Amino acid sequence: MADGELIRNTERGPDVAEELKGEERRSAVLALPPEITITAASLALASCGGGGGGAAPAPVVVAPPPPAPPVIVLPTRTESARFLSQAAMGSSRADVEQVAAVGYTAWLDQQFALARTIGHWDWLVQAGFNDVANRDNEAGFDPVMWRQLIASPDQLRVRVGMALLNMLVVGIGGVAASWRQFVTTAYVDLLMDGAFGNFRTLLTNISTSPAMGYYLTFLGNRRANAATGAVPDENYARELMQLFTIGLVRLNPDGTVQTGAGGAPVETYTQDDITGLARVFTGWTLDSADNATPDRMRRPMINVAANHESGVKTFLGTTIPAGTNGADSLRLALDAIFAHPNVAPFVSKQLIQHLVTSNPAPAYVARVSAVFENNGSGVKGDLRAVVRAILLDVEARNEAIAGATSFGKLREPINRLVGWARAFGAVSASGAWGIGDTSSTSNRLGQSPGRSPSVFNFFRPGYTPPNTPISSAGLVAPEFQIANEPSVIAYINYMAGLVPSTADFRANYADMVALASDSNNLLNEVDILLGARLSAATKTTIRAAIDAISFTATNGPANRVYTAALLTLASPEYLVQK
Amino acid sequence: MIDQSRRAFLKRAAALGIVGGAGPFVMNLAAIGEAAAATASDYKALVCIFLFGGNDYANTVIPYDQASYNLYATQRGSIALARDTLTATGLNPAAPLAGGRQYALHPNLAPLIPLYDANRLAVILNVGSLVQPTSKTNYTNRSVPLPPKLFSHNDQQSYWQASNPEGATSGWGGRIGDLLQSGNGSAALTCISASGNSVYLSGRSAIQYAVTTTGPIPLLNNATTLFGSAAGMSALRGLATSPRTNLFENEHATVTKRSLDLQAQVTASLAAAPTLTTPFPANNSLADQLRIVARLISVSQELGAKRQVFFVSLGGFDNHDSILTTHPVLMTRVGAAMRYFHDATVELGVADRVTSFTGSDFGRTLTSNANGSDHGWGSMHMVMGGAVNGRAFYGTPPVIANNGPDDVGQGRLLPSLSVDQYAATMASWFGVANGSMSTVLPNINNYNPSSWNQGFV
Repeated sequence: MADGELIRNTERGPDVAEELKGEERRSAVLALPPEITITAASLALASCGGGGGGAAPAPVVVAPPPPAPPVIVLPTRTESARFLSQAAMGSSRADVEQVAAVGYTAWLDQQFALARTIGHWDWLVQAGFNDVANRDNEAGFDPVMWRQLIASPDQLRVRVGMALLNMLVVGIGGVAASWRQFVTTAYVDLLMDGAFGNFRTLLTNISTSPAMGYYLTFLGNRRANAATGAVPDENYARELMQLFTIGLVRLNPDGTVQTGAGGAPVETYTQDDITGLARVFTGWTLDSADNATPDRMRRPMINVAANHESGVKTFLGTTIPAGTNGADSLRLALDAIFAHPNVAPFVSKQLIQHLVTSNPAPAYVARVSAVFENNGSGVKGDLRAVVRAILLDVEARNEAIAGATSFGKLREPINRLVGWARAFGAVSASGAWGIGDTSSTSNRLGQSPGRSPSVFNFFRPGYTPPNTPISSAGLVAPEFQIANEPSVIAYINYMAGLVPSTADFRANYADMVALASDSNNLLNEVDILLGARLSAATKTTIRAAIDAISFTATNGPANRVYTAALLTLASPEYLVQK
Repeated sequence: MIDQSRRAFLKRAAALGIVGGAGPFVMNLAAIGEAAAATASDYKALVCIFLFGGNDYANTVIPYDQASYNLYATQRGSIALARDTLTATGLNPAAPLAGGRQYALHPNLAPLIPLYDANRLAVILNVGSLVQPTSKTNYTNRSVPLPPKLFSHNDQQSYWQASNPEGATSGWGGRIGDLLQSGNGSAALTCISASGNSVYLSGRSAIQYAVTTTGPIPLLNNATTLFGSAAGMSALRGLATSPRTNLFENEHATVTKRSLDLQAQVTASLAAAPTLTTPFPANNSLADQLRIVARLISVSQELGAKRQVFFVSLGGFDNHDSILTTHPVLMTRVGAAMRYFHDATVELGVADRVTSFTGSDFGRTLTSNANGSDHGWGSMHMVMGGAVNGRAFYGTPPVIANNGPDDVGQGRLLPSLSVDQYAATMASWFGVANGSMSTVLPNINNYNPSSWNQGFV
């Protein structure tokens, strides 16, 4: 079935259009090419500016909506799959049909309303991993992480939650605690639960989570001790500001860097601010000494007054008076940080980079950042509104923009595995989800969910592969930090084993085998389900490889399907999400 | 070999010529270095051992004379090492330090003591990232430019390796490679990482090439068919490596192509490499990396390489917490891995042609946070190899204090020796002429040329 047949250019009367929400109308309008004036040249300029210079935003001129009744265009299956590459961990056939049936906005609303089926923690308990024998191992961690990514229907929440985990990083390898599979998954649950909530709430929750307390070493941190000369641990104070909220340099609302005398970036804080803020993160500890179960690892830390710094705390131009208790100090400190003008562009730009494109135009960042600053009802930090703004923005949706040579992002290896699994219905029949730790760069993915090697994540938002046309163009390509000569081959080798695997975790290719006698039909469906958007030339190459395998040979249908899937998964057109 | 090198030189000179406005200047300087290397018949390797996270200098090179130790112990409190554990690792330099200053290595670095005593290990005191010579007054008054984003891990890792914070597009190891790669039969084997991607090894023309601890990875074990089809395998190789117009697609294809192009040659050479009999430390990821470096060096002649820069690393040094349990384990690994590597180069007969050195994000505070230390600046480092003028300290022993003349508070050392000088000394040994030094180290002209070569190698 050709894509064209699925386009439903439905003319509707004004009465129907009136019932549609504003965003629906906007996205429908923006889907029409004549409303958008944009050139490849201006895009390239915009992208360069997004790389961190002080370049003026390139013009992306969006004409106001015409007064005539809007034309509602539901997305094609191809467009739906492209949307799901940005809004989900991958797309099953049902996911694609659903987006194509209801449109982007309605799908987002459905996803926002979807409750989590089961949290990581509860799944671990149900599966018996809270047996005391697992107190000092990681049993259950990889299974529960992969299960959620692959099998959970609340895909938007999972995708945004993983983006947040890339930004507000905890990795199980750095959690020096008992029950670390529970400590870490409690944290991932916290991010998934809060993915559509308010960023300020998230800051409180991560700052009191035992996982963060362990990971950034402030659990058990004490006030300065004049007798021993010991001073508070500065770890969390520093990374909370540098990595989680405001960053090192002052930003404009469009994410570009503010420069001072001599063109140097203006730094946001000094060592004195770190030392001052570190005093807030003293006195925090677990609420119970009971280590027979993991239960205390999901409850917020408490503050022990005797260990909390009672003196004055000064940072970022804010002073918390002497005598303020731990809980109040935390609230005041997070309020002060959250009020910093950097938060909106800092968080918004990174979310765009994780969901849509590595080098968003400053104007795109500015539009999303404005929603972060104010969701329309005067509320700052509304992540639901921010996610909606990111995914429905013209720069995310417009096909002409996606055609620029600087658009898109390298798909994370985790997303490639999950995308394959969702496209072809791969599940663990036994419920064991034995995919394991995929961190190896020599024979697996070089990345594994919840296993970041440090708080700096697997890759940094400012990473540019040195001495490449990407760096010469002033662009960043964060995911390339984990792409190198061994890892690009290891990925293909690993997927070549997984694609035809008959192990407990395996795909169900029945739908594909049904198409396999016609290489054109087969490849078109594989292309759509993986959101690959292969070019005609690449399709010709892959079709020829499929056709070289006789349908009637032993395992012919299966080998044709495997070939279509693996060649698509290995093609640069698929690897770069656009 | 020389003809091949000259051809390679001409090819890369042409490539450099199209590098925008800086082209002619860069090319001219590159030509000087490359011409020298093209006629050289020797081999040299420079190995960067990077300690990710910011190594705790004070428990790595510990003040040992009683007066200094007392100052150290008072400020470190509960995270100080006991003096009587340092007896076996006390350093006895050929020329004692002024003022009776003495240092000891961490007890778990004991395998390095025989190297120090044999003049093959030098200790560099208080080296760190700077833009230019910086006094305490300069720092306090902000009267000279400072490296941006001090105390930030990712930025100082980058500044250390590249003279620029995160987002840097070339590092000094790679820029050395720019000047010398034409002497190599395969320029792509000039800058090799056994530790993933590091900006350190990327030059303006030199490319970082990454290997695993067992060498390159073959595609599907060099199978000739994919799911039973030769056409499938051929399509796979073609699709994964063909040039693309989208910049990111194209870069992925470029990396994949380089990987496939070099794999057969490097794997075949390694298969013929001599078997190393030097005892190999188990469960030591740094030693795993240094072993593949040693093996690659052992086949450098087969690979036509005359100058190679390597990068290996060990993580876990951000010891804000549990420093007395975590740091000793890391020291054991560093000590065992460096000693193994030295002995392997002796076995291969190339000890005097291989110089290894440590680097790290930054040093840490001398002051304790009760069970760890926090981000600092200057640090102590080690340089190892047969060409090293060892059994000596280089640089100046810092005053041990909290906000004294040599620290900016809590024992965060204000570097008295810059990474640029540290690097220039090794670059000079490696064959970089003084006239080319500023292409490798853009800030080196801020230092008196007489101080560029510190003489430790």
